[in-house]
Amino acid sequence: MSGAVGREAVFPTRQSLGLMKGKLKGAETGHSLLKRKSEALTKRFREITRRIDEAKQKMGRVMQIAAFSLAEVSYAVGGDIGYQIQESAKQARFRVRAKQENVSGVLLPHFESYTEDGINDFGLTGLGKGGMQVQRCRETYARAVETLVELASLQTAFVILDEVIKVVNRRVNAIEHVIIPRTENTIKYINSELDELDREEFYRLKKVSGKKQRDNAAADAEILAARQKEAARLQESADAEKKEEEAPEAPDVLGEQEDADVIF
Amino acid sequence: MEGLFFNVNSGYIEGIVRGYRNSLLTGQHYSNLTQCETIDDVKLQLAPAYGDFLASLPPNPSTSALAGKMTDKLVAEFRYLLAQATGSTAKFFQYLTYGYMIDNIALLITGTLHERDTRELLERCHPLGWFETLPVLCVATNIEELYNSVLVETPLAGYFKSSLSHQDLDELNIEIVRNTLYKNYLEDFHQFVTTHPDFRGTPTQEVMSEILQFEADRRAINITLNSFGTELSKQERKKLYPEFGKLYPEGSLMLSRADDIESVALAVSISADYKAFFDAVGLTQGGGGLGGMGGSDGKSLEDLFYQKEMELSKVVFTRQFTPAVVYAWMRLKEQEIRNVTWIAECIAQNQKERIGNFISVF
Repeated sequence: MSGAVGREAVFPTRQSLGLMKGKLKGAETGHSLLKRKSEALTKRFREITRRIDEAKQKMGRVMQIAAFSLAEVSYAVGGDIGYQIQESAKQARFRVRAKQENVSGVLLPHFESYTEDGINDFGLTGLGKGGMQVQRCRETYARAVETLVELASLQTAFVILDEVIKVVNRRVNAIEHVIIPRTENTIKYINSELDELDREEFYRLKKVSGKKQRDNAAADAEILAARQKEAARLQESADAEKKEEEAPEAPDVLGEQEDADVIF
Repeated sequence: MEGLFFNVNSGYIEGIVRGYRNSLLTGQHYSNLTQCETIDDVKLQLAPAYGDFLASLPPNPSTSALAGKMTDKLVAEFRYLLAQATGSTAKFFQYLTYGYMIDNIALLITGTLHERDTRELLERCHPLGWFETLPVLCVATNIEELYNSVLVETPLAGYFKSSLSHQDLDELNIEIVRNTLYKNYLEDFHQFVTTHPDFRGTPTQEVMSEILQFEADRRAINITLNSFGTELSKQERKKLYPEFGKLYPEGSLMLSRADDIESVALAVSISADYKAFFDAVGLTQGGGGLGGMGGSDGKSLEDLFYQKEMELSKVVFTRQFTPAVVYAWMRLKEQEIRNVTWIAECIAQNQKERIGNFISVF
């Protein structure tokens, strides 16, 4: 496994070893953090999937009821009121507010529906007949749209989370299977290189010290010989001095004795 | 006495209408329809009554397409009758179409107010409410022009003139305009059947005034119930009540003051019929409220009103020598279209448990 990932192109120095060790530590911390993030997201993802399932089933039921209440309206009013409703609706009664929710650093949009109770554009529709059915139908459809909004919010979160989870998992896997082994490899390589260098250095030092010892020994012998020579020479000269001691002392011309011929 | 010369002018029409009446779907047909599994089965069941009109529908048509084709048949039959009618009977037929005209005009006014292409609106108009000057409404580009030069040419001009100015068209909610027109129309129609020399003292006056009174009361009650919780003020509401009917004037006055369902129930208690309706849907108990509209047997107040209307219409056929049978036949036919649409809708949406919620009187 680790053989396949190779190593980074670094010079095997102590500095890069330090760097690599820092990198490995960072990678391990990052890995555990990302792993935890991915787990948190997956948990959330599962929950959303479950809620989507519920919302979809609910939507099916609610839409069915809503469509049926529309049938009730057309039965009670006895005609098509669609056009009239479209024309008299001026302002949205049912509104959606978008919020953002933070799940482990992922911003999920969350839609929140609310109704403006003051707006009642077609409250008078079906005044003569069927008004109650129209209002009831509107309420049912408002509920249906509420479910749709909820579902939309969940679906968006689903898509975004899916994407994010994929990215995070890819990162986790990359760190686990590529970056960490590679860094470890690099460290191993640097270590082995450094050991090699150490051994070389040691051998070299040993060589050097051996040579030095040899040199020293030679030098010592030389000095010893020189000393002996010196000693012999000193002996000789001491003998010679003894012979010359009788010879007269030469007068000191520049010495303390005043010369009568020198004026100043 | 009134029967003596009736057949000279209108006997043929009456005969035709009674024939049409026999082709209305009966309880047996409806129970067959409710057994259907698909819309195609419904189509097949309807084939004897509707024949060619449904033939052009594609397999498994939408319920609205089905209803559209059924309405086409009603329109075609009514046009035939209209073409046969003369004199006061023709006038009576004209009155029948005014209700649809009001809907069409309301549609066009809405369109003009929002500066829509009025040509596409014409396609949405009810064919029975079509009149020659209707396309001219498209010419008008603003409300003032529409009011001054176009609406006066329509048969409904009288209803506008007496109660609405062109400012009203701009400012008032179109529903209020529509209901004001409808009120004027009902009053005018009632006036027509009770005072026209050809109808005064005939069965027409008797049955039509009963039906129209019921219609007026129904509108008054519905308007009151539907106006709760809207910006419609009590004065405006009072103006929308037709000024005749069993509830007029005491009941109408009480209705105009009503604030909640209990006071409506109190107002209508002068008439035993309506009181029975309110009791049936449990509105008098208060707690039921609008939520209790479903009622114990799945009937709402609207359903009971429709039921009553159908019963009144059915009774009309016991009378002879009157064009009122045409009115009754149209109402029954419309109800039949609604019933079939309802059944088709229930089948299409797989909601069989409420499929029996239609009104069949034969």
